[in-house]
Amino acid sequence: MRTTPGRSARGARLLTRRGAAVAAAALLVTVLSACGPDIGSGGDSSASGSVLQAPADNSPKGEITIWDRSGDLFKVFDATIKEFNKKYPGITVKHEAVDIDSKLQNTLITGTDVPDGVFLDDAKVGSYVDHLWNLQDVLAPYSKDIAPQKVAVNTVHGGIYGVPFDLDPGLLFYNAKALSAAGIDPNGIKTYDDLLAAAKKYQQYKPGAKPIHLEQDAFNSQLQLEMYASQFGTSLADANGALRLDSAPYHQILTWLDTVRKDGLGTRAEYLKPTDVGALDSGDEVFYPWAIWFDFAPQQQLTATKGDWRAMPLPAWSPGGARSGAMGGASFVIPKDAKNPQLAWLFYRFLTFEQAGYSAVYGPNAVYPGGLNTSIPSYRPAADPAKPLFRPIDAMGGQDVWKTAVEASQEIPGGAPIPSWWAAAVDYLGTDLQKMLDGSLTPQQVIDQAGKDIQTNLVERK
Amino acid sequence: MTTRPVPVRAVKVFRDEQRAEPATTAAPRARRTLPWRRRLAPYAFVLPFVAVFLAFSVYPLFFTLRLSFTDWHGAGAAHWVGLGNYRYLLTNDAFWASLGNSGVLWLLIVPVQLVLAVIVAVLLGAIKRLRGFYRVTFVVPFVTPLVAVAQIWIVLFDQNYGPVNTVLGALGLPQVGWLVDSMWAKPTLALLFLWKTTGFVVLIVLSGLQQIDGGLYEAASLDGAGRLRQLWSITVPLLRRSLMFCVVLQTLAVFQMFVEPYVVTGGGPYTSTTTAGLFLFKHINSGDLGTGAANSFLLVIVVMALSLLFVRLLRAED
Amino acid sequence: MTTLDVRARRTTGRPRAGAHVFLLVLTVALLAPVAWAVLSSFKPAGEIIRDPLGFDPATLTFANFRGMFQDVPIGSGFLNTGVVLVAKGAITMFCAPLAAFAFAKYSFRGKNLIFGTVLLTLMLPVIVLIIPLLLEMKELGWVNTYQALILPGSVDAFAIFWMRQVIAAVPDELLDAARVDGCGEFAIFLRVIVPAIRPGLAGLGVLTIMNIYNDFVWPVVAASSSRMATLQVVLSTLAQNIKGNRVGADYATVTGELLAAASIALIPLLILFIVLQKHFINGILAGSVKG
Repeated sequence: MRTTPGRSARGARLLTRRGAAVAAAALLVTVLSACGPDIGSGGDSSASGSVLQAPADNSPKGEITIWDRSGDLFKVFDATIKEFNKKYPGITVKHEAVDIDSKLQNTLITGTDVPDGVFLDDAKVGSYVDHLWNLQDVLAPYSKDIAPQKVAVNTVHGGIYGVPFDLDPGLLFYNAKALSAAGIDPNGIKTYDDLLAAAKKYQQYKPGAKPIHLEQDAFNSQLQLEMYASQFGTSLADANGALRLDSAPYHQILTWLDTVRKDGLGTRAEYLKPTDVGALDSGDEVFYPWAIWFDFAPQQQLTATKGDWRAMPLPAWSPGGARSGAMGGASFVIPKDAKNPQLAWLFYRFLTFEQAGYSAVYGPNAVYPGGLNTSIPSYRPAADPAKPLFRPIDAMGGQDVWKTAVEASQEIPGGAPIPSWWAAAVDYLGTDLQKMLDGSLTPQQVIDQAGKDIQTNLVERK
Repeated sequence: MTTRPVPVRAVKVFRDEQRAEPATTAAPRARRTLPWRRRLAPYAFVLPFVAVFLAFSVYPLFFTLRLSFTDWHGAGAAHWVGLGNYRYLLTNDAFWASLGNSGVLWLLIVPVQLVLAVIVAVLLGAIKRLRGFYRVTFVVPFVTPLVAVAQIWIVLFDQNYGPVNTVLGALGLPQVGWLVDSMWAKPTLALLFLWKTTGFVVLIVLSGLQQIDGGLYEAASLDGAGRLRQLWSITVPLLRRSLMFCVVLQTLAVFQMFVEPYVVTGGGPYTSTTTAGLFLFKHINSGDLGTGAANSFLLVIVVMALSLLFVRLLRAED
Repeated sequence: MTTLDVRARRTTGRPRAGAHVFLLVLTVALLAPVAWAVLSSFKPAGEIIRDPLGFDPATLTFANFRGMFQDVPIGSGFLNTGVVLVAKGAITMFCAPLAAFAFAKYSFRGKNLIFGTVLLTLMLPVIVLIIPLLLEMKELGWVNTYQALILPGSVDAFAIFWMRQVIAAVPDELLDAARVDGCGEFAIFLRVIVPAIRPGLAGLGVLTIMNIYNDFVWPVVAASSSRMATLQVVLSTLAQNIKGNRVGADYATVTGELLAAASIALIPLLILFIVLQKHFINGILAGSVKG
């Protein structure tokens, strides 16, 4: 059949007819691409060792653009700018609420409209170091007073790439009212074996209850796994990037989680999604080993059990072991392409290391009348158990969570750096962890399978 | 289906008529004798398009192709790795799994959508009242912002609190872990896609229906062919080109889909909804641009092969 | 006897009722999620998730809308979307039919090559072009400008593909007759093609509006400053907040705000669509393939 070119209006068939043309075009593209645009010839590749220096000027002037993720934290930081300007009237802070996950990478790669400072999850700092200022010199005066865990997560190849902001100690949150009704004394829970025993006892008291939270989101479950590992002073990879998954601590943690599952003691739910909130409010889920930011739940999301929740240090993995580990957290990074990196440093120094700054962040403000209590400062002088920055929390029965958290945080070991591929590992380790919690993999299989996948797809390809 | 009575013959006659249409056009035969204005005109006409197209489609296309042979991570110099990225992907289970996930989604979406669209279009052709109303409602999902739809889906299909399970429970049916069960996540996602795009497919099928000569049905019913027989022997064969058009379009859309799983399931549970598009997105989002570029060209090859296959199938029956 | 008469005769009595039942069920399924979203945006945020089906008029509230107006720049989002819509839409509506005219009705050197490339880009996932495009925007100094939001993708492959189908259906005799009358080639486009494909153009217009209005993958990265954020960028920022629900960002509150924003975003398109319903349907009918 012959149709003249102008006449055919048959979309599908057109595709075949043009098949040859497509192939020709593809060939042309291949040939031309040899003389295509230059990749990565941008000038700053040589500057990989750039170390930021503090400004000499005493009354610096200029404008800085600061990115934060939107939400309550944005409002908190926004309110601190006024305090900052009391000290540095010459610096104008342009504060933007930005969807950092989807924008930062593109912005840094293309070097366009780069902000002077960015609030970034610790887990992501490592993947951006090529684009960031090394802050080792400016941080030097403060380093010894920063929580060792935070220094470790911001250290890559010997340089420090983030101004450590918050520390997020893991705590054991528990429903005090429900436990006392069941005759369980939380103070008796000193190890994870004790926690298992307490959970069993609670289940006998309330049949059908699944007392311990077992995270169902792959990302968060991997984050929580690292909290447990942090108690051992270990993490997925060492400072040289070598994988440490196949080790005694991970065996012990995974086996424990698997036991919780096997014994029917775990509530499978995503962190504070409706299912989770339901189980928490019904008294079926009473133990929540999580970072301090879980205290948001009794304050904002739980209705029936609001006021019943308390926090205590995590159990230890062996008697006498560390009673806390870090989970999550964020730091401030300064991109190399920033226009005023030194001024951004002044801003972050103010927020992190100066009393007027960190008091403005954590102290009572318009957003949090009692103060920002979902994390604590990582700067030791700011985190004094005796000098609380935020007030006791009513929704937790008036508990002085500041004291609990700060004391727990002092037990967090260092030596747990975060590899640059950490977030990408969720597809392997996070997923396999979920399979184990659903009963389709054994702890050993998780270690073998995830270890192999991470090694071939991430460690060896970065 | 060679022994069918009249309707098939009618179809054949109709097709022959189509083929016999005179092919008059600005045919190549006349090129030499064409006035210069007419010869230059098409170049002038495509110029604005080609300028924009070269600058913002072809140039990035070159760039991407070049990228696919490098290990560039977005900073520093790029190293030429030849076919390394392609080799890595082709030997990577996760890559094939992502294609498999998209394949399953395709099976859950495209055939269902076609059958549904044909039924709806035929019914719409058969009624007079409320036609405009139905047509508007079919396009409402199409104009609803995708990110909002994705979020709505998360709430509607929540295992314990979602209205869908509430309704199922009220009907005495078992409740399903729509988004948390690796067996159900794909169908839930397919449902979203069906909800969002079926209206559009209905419209295309409707247009195909309007081109069918009503005389064929008349002849068929005079021959005593029932309505179902008419549907199967006249409507479906004559709609084949419209349907193929939809199949090709939807194949592109299904294999490139990434926003839906990204927002609704994040690719999980496990990696059951990590579609080809999302898998590619993850490379790019984690800064592995070279692998992402290679992945996208492999995806182009898959989609092209599938399109050609469908078109070939259509031809084979011609 | 016309087609319509035949159809009418084939469909009498009971089957028509059956058709209505089927279509109504489908309509309910299609409208329910949207109706749920719009109604829920007036509920207290916590209730949306805790009790999605409940609706108590006594607790009706505008809190989600107020919060949303406070938290995200939805006003400037509308404005930016408006600017992009007009400029980008105009470019598409001019360039695509003109180029498609050349593809459909002329033979010229390079035609197959260009058209083949068009098909190739149609098959290439958009996300992979984002970094190269962004690097290009940087070279041009266009980041965070309207140009960056308007020009890339202003003549997309699908529009060409679509228009080519429409124009191919215009009988060549019309063109030849116009030429005999002494019409120039561009005049043929304006006086013969454009009037003949008016429904198709209307279809392209509405499709273009919907695509531009709902596009966010490119705008999210091209407009990194909130000043340039389009409506969909605002929406996706809200969605991102829900996703990143770790510290603070209250899942329920943001969900409520997102539903409120989506309800508002829906209104202009819905009105447009109801008003232009006839043109739109006919346009799509004109643009798709022949059976």
